[in-house]
Amino acid sequence: MASLFQQSMPSTGPGYSFASAPTHHSSSGPRQHAFYPYTDNGGSTLGISGATFTILAGDTRSTSGYNINSRYAPKLFRIGGDGPENEGARIVLSVVGFAADGNALKERLDTMVKMYRYQHGKEISVHACAQRLSHILYGKRFFPYYVTAILGGLDDEGKGALYSYDPVGSYEREQCRAAGAASSLIMPFLDNQVNLKNQYDPASGEGLEKVMRVPEPLPQETVEQLVRDAFTSAVERHIEVGDGLQMMIITKEGVQETFTPLKKD
Amino acid sequence: MVGVRFKEVEKRDQAVITTGHSTPHLTPPYTPPITTTMPGFDFSNHNRNLALHSRGVPLPKATSTGTTIVGCLYDGGVVIAADTRATSGPIVADKNCEKLHYISPQIWCAGAGTAADTEFTTALISSNLELHALSTGRKPRVVTVMTMLKQHLFRYQGHIGAYLVVAGCDPTGAHLFTVHAHGSTDKLPYVTMGSGSLAAMSVFETQWKNSMTRDEAVALCAQAIQAGIFNDLGSGSNVDVCVITKEKTELLRNYITPNVREQKMRNYKFAKGTTAVLDQKVITKEEISKYVTVQDIGDGETGVGEKMEVDS
Amino acid sequence: MFIARSEYDRGINTFSPEGRLFQVEYSLEAIKLGSTAIGVSTSSGVVLGVEKRITSSLLETSSVEKIVEIDRHIGCAMSGLQADARSMIEHARVTSQSHEFHYNERLGVESCTQAICDLALRFGEGAEGEESIMSRPFGVALLIAGFDEEGPSLYHAEPSGTFYRYDAKAIGSGSEGAQAELQNEFHKSLTLDEAEVMVLKTLKQVMEEKLDSKNVQLASVTKEKGFRIYGDEEMEGVVGRLEGN
Repeated sequence: MASLFQQSMPSTGPGYSFASAPTHHSSSGPRQHAFYPYTDNGGSTLGISGATFTILAGDTRSTSGYNINSRYAPKLFRIGGDGPENEGARIVLSVVGFAADGNALKERLDTMVKMYRYQHGKEISVHACAQRLSHILYGKRFFPYYVTAILGGLDDEGKGALYSYDPVGSYEREQCRAAGAASSLIMPFLDNQVNLKNQYDPASGEGLEKVMRVPEPLPQETVEQLVRDAFTSAVERHIEVGDGLQMMIITKEGVQETFTPLKKD
Repeated sequence: MVGVRFKEVEKRDQAVITTGHSTPHLTPPYTPPITTTMPGFDFSNHNRNLALHSRGVPLPKATSTGTTIVGCLYDGGVVIAADTRATSGPIVADKNCEKLHYISPQIWCAGAGTAADTEFTTALISSNLELHALSTGRKPRVVTVMTMLKQHLFRYQGHIGAYLVVAGCDPTGAHLFTVHAHGSTDKLPYVTMGSGSLAAMSVFETQWKNSMTRDEAVALCAQAIQAGIFNDLGSGSNVDVCVITKEKTELLRNYITPNVREQKMRNYKFAKGTTAVLDQKVITKEEISKYVTVQDIGDGETGVGEKMEVDS
Repeated sequence: MFIARSEYDRGINTFSPEGRLFQVEYSLEAIKLGSTAIGVSTSSGVVLGVEKRITSSLLETSSVEKIVEIDRHIGCAMSGLQADARSMIEHARVTSQSHEFHYNERLGVESCTQAICDLALRFGEGAEGEESIMSRPFGVALLIAGFDEEGPSLYHAEPSGTFYRYDAKAIGSGSEGAQAELQNEFHKSLTLDEAEVMVLKTLKQVMEEKLDSKNVQLASVTKEKGFRIYGDEEMEGVVGRLEGN
């Protein structure tokens, strides 16, 4: 019989591939077996921080190949907090990529944040949590969690804090970040609308005299509109994004969660 | 495991092995004759494929088509339908493309697979069919189109990635065929193709019945396409339908539009002066003849382009 | 069957019929043999002071290290078996560095004390079934002084694994007299300078030798300068401020 995994592995591409079928079953030479334990479950996430808030968002579709696994598989998780729903949490983690790894990562970070509270008798700060997450990711440097993570919360001064990660733990605090399948569609939009890249102040002289527009923290309502527009646009042009938009808004009052339906095609 | 469908060998069809998905071909080292007279299902082809697989013959690779197309015969005509999404990888290349191709006034073709291959193949066959009709002086037949397509595609051994549903009415009646890229064909009362074929076929298998009316057939086809649109990521946007009777052909472009884009929340117009103008050169109307050649094209009837579809 | 009371002295994990762990109690006795160490907490920082017990005129006084740094913001003074303190301090230093590495923030003083006390209990098997790593309890007590986001704090950690926070605390041979003195003298509005003098004054009362700038050692932890052991000149300055010196 062929390898156990050959037939049961979900293919990343559309349809089925039997390209890896055994070529010489009866030959006595060495046979190579491949085991690829990762799947890309598609979807996209996005985070923007403001002066007094941070917004994280993600679509709720889970895919494999051309199939939809679920129309509601959240990519946003409250970290810390109490009870099964993590009530009272002040930190939100978003993960996109391989959903199983994303869930495992969320569970580990959540456990560590709760242990921190027991061991040190205080709530963990976002910047300490950010460093911890980086170490969790790097701890699996040679068998990584196949995810792009974004961590959001409020810093010690009450300002919006947003940290973005690569799968092996390199991280950076930023104003905004898009991740996942449609990141290459959303990030340029954010560069333009949030960081005002390559734009000049229309009221500032002519030609070389012109002054660059200076990005400043956006009001919460504007950010919510930008997030919605980013996702409805990504849904138009990326097949793996759709079904629903989950948003978590972190303010000093706590975490507010919203859900908006997206196109299902 | 790969399910293998047994089928009667028709006179004009090659004996083929059809796998569960779309139908590429094995070129097996041997083809044992199927001479069973036993009633019920026959799994000899399945067993043979298992034996081939274990001896190292790789199973055929199914090509993704990223489309849902269907067809259905009814009393008095035939209906074909398609979704309108075109993709390149995971990116939507065209949200409202046309997958129903003209062959002749009473014969139309729904295409899945490589977009260029479906367009060029149908256009070529359409052209040759016109010449054929002219030289014979008769209305072209659907079976002729099917035969021309399969011969063309077989010659290219599957390298032309066109998966087609051919439908039409001719003096012999209403007909419906599928043609696969390797050249195999089927003649069936209802058919589906493309990556959304399974989703669409689930609708036909639960709801299809004999002797439907035109409206019933159109509704069923539209529902099958929508099953593909919502459950297959390769398919999306709108439903195109084409109804062919012996009297006329109706092309119902965007018959259903279940995926209209909602209003954007913000306005993204840039204020004038956002981009710095570093240099400018003024060309007056009088000087313009130095840069262009003006040619009179008469009454302006020719050279009028089709208006591009854009988002509102 | 003859069961002498002293039989319960042997096993470090065995209660006596009266419910006592003799080895742990004996370890507390070992501290009473140690040199006196004092800590005083003020609103601006914590002062630690120890007597050095110069047993020989040939002894290089600077080699007597009874106050050590754990991290930039935490230090400790010890009394008892100094060799035992080395492994406790090593553990505290590793814990503090590891915390900063993992969390990009300084370890809290209480968490540091807790970590030391966790180690102090490792003469028995651990809660998760870890094997015991020591054959007996530690024979040393620590005064842990630090400054974290909660402000300055002073902790006393015992070999039994218990710890308490104090405004002012004395340990070692002269602890009884010194603690009584601190009880009388301490008040909430002490300045750091006053605390330095108070520590020396208290030490002076319980020391057998005459106090000078060589046989005592001071250190402090403040927000601005972190943990700092006083140098020779600074020691002379503080000793100079002490009345009757």
